[in-house]
Amino acid sequence: MPANAILALKEVGHSFGGLAVLRSVTFDVPEGGIIGLIGPNGSGKTTLFNIVSGYIRPLAGAITYQGAPLVRESIQRRGTAGLVRTFQTPQVFEQMTVLENIMVGCTKLTRTTMLQDLLRTPAARGQMREIRQRAEAACERFQLGNLRDLPAASLTAGQRRILEIARAVVGEPRLLLLDEPSSGLNAQEIENLREWIVRLNEQGITVLLVSHDMGLMTVARTVHTLYFGEIIASGDMAAIQRDPRVREVYLGV
Amino acid sequence: MQSRLLWIAVALVIWAALPFFVPRNIADLLVFTGIYTIAGLGIGLLLGHCGIVNLAQATFYGLGAYASAYCTVMMGLPSIVGFVAGAAISMALAYVIGRPILRLTGYFLALGTLALSAIASALFFEWDWLTGGTLGIGGIPKLNLFGFVLDRPSRYYFFVWIVAFACMAAAHNLVDSRSGLMLRAMRDSSTAAAALSVDLQSLRTRVFVVCALFGSLAGSLFAHHASFVSTQSFGVDRSISFLLIPVIGGATSIPGIVVGALFVTFLPEFLSKLGDIHQILFGLALVAVVVLLPDGLMGAFGRLRTRLAARQGNHAR
Repeated sequence: MPANAILALKEVGHSFGGLAVLRSVTFDVPEGGIIGLIGPNGSGKTTLFNIVSGYIRPLAGAITYQGAPLVRESIQRRGTAGLVRTFQTPQVFEQMTVLENIMVGCTKLTRTTMLQDLLRTPAARGQMREIRQRAEAACERFQLGNLRDLPAASLTAGQRRILEIARAVVGEPRLLLLDEPSSGLNAQEIENLREWIVRLNEQGITVLLVSHDMGLMTVARTVHTLYFGEIIASGDMAAIQRDPRVREVYLGV
Repeated sequence: MQSRLLWIAVALVIWAALPFFVPRNIADLLVFTGIYTIAGLGIGLLLGHCGIVNLAQATFYGLGAYASAYCTVMMGLPSIVGFVAGAAISMALAYVIGRPILRLTGYFLALGTLALSAIASALFFEWDWLTGGTLGIGGIPKLNLFGFVLDRPSRYYFFVWIVAFACMAAAHNLVDSRSGLMLRAMRDSSTAAAALSVDLQSLRTRVFVVCALFGSLAGSLFAHHASFVSTQSFGVDRSISFLLIPVIGGATSIPGIVVGALFVTFLPEFLSKLGDIHQILFGLALVAVVVLLPDGLMGAFGRLRTRLAARQGNHAR
């Protein structure tokens, strides 16, 4: 593992009911990089994402995050350590407002006990103020200011996607996992999303991106191609697009 | 804003004057409404903000009542000891039982809490060395506040309702806090809440403990009001009527809990004047509320208000 890798997967394997979905997947995510993961439907991308974010425990292999073993950590512990994901279908808190959604993303940066919250102690009030201020700033930064008091259920797919990213970023992640962030978005929204990914990366957030969208994938410096649970090619997008195996199995040419 | 303050002032005056103008039996029911409000608040937090159906509140209610009865009658201790002991035992039990059973969800969790209520109810009956069994424990002293004995419903009314208001304020604080944000997030999408580092298991357990605290407090207040506690008061049927409070009033609304508590204390009393069919009528009223007003009486009230406001807006144009 290179010294600067924030995440390293070593021979990760998984199967569902005897059917292997991941076979000996090995790659590194360098700190500060943007790494892409492509592959046809059923190639194991989402399973790999669920394994890295802690929703599934892999049957084989090892994963290290910031040099420490990751596999046994809970989803919550991974989150507080700065590893945060988004979902293929944006999972916003529908009955809460846009601002409240982002406020939930800030809760992990503060600590209160339930007793403090029940009694509304000065400490609890102070923390709530801090959460609100951070969320308001994020609302403006992500151009959600004019939507902030609307329930998240009323947002369009594109707005939900931005909200989900804003909510993840406000918790100060170090590694952001984006699962098919362009699905359901129009061309203009995808372009905005692309700019956001570049901007967040420039602010020091490492990005691991899963997408079908070849245009969006050009933001990635290195792209790994998964096919039936194996990595069949790695390199920058131009090299991937030239790779004969990738063309055969994925691009269908 | 001013009209809102006016409404609150009017409500406070009515609240303060009420026990002096109503017959004793009504004052007594109003005391029970206060006690049930406290017990119902905890269930409302679980149901409205965590989506958890708690059918075990009578257990914590019973623990509070028996702790108060045992400490004051059998051990001759001051009443505050009973309140504290009941709360401590209830919260400890909620924590120990909560951690394993709150892993369940939906119907299974509801059945788990129902089982807890059934077991506790059986133990209250069997452990007669502690609870007096069906004979119960009598002679529980009335509360004495610095020499002022709360021996009439009209006096106890104020004490119970001040405690109820304090509990309502605490529940409101909780919903409005960092914990409240996480609770609502968990209710909307537990998957996404987990990804944002919300510890679902621990959060649910802590709300369950708060619910048990409210239940136990209500039980202790009940013991000092009734002066007598026995197993009949803490059965599964009591757990069910506690669950009805937020279901009828509206689980996410704190005034809704008061409305629900009024419903389950007053309606059976009025219907009982109609003779043998009163239980059927109560059942029908219940079904009517649940079917016609799925978000409770307060939810229906809120929708009515929005509709009226919209109509007024149209007229203004």
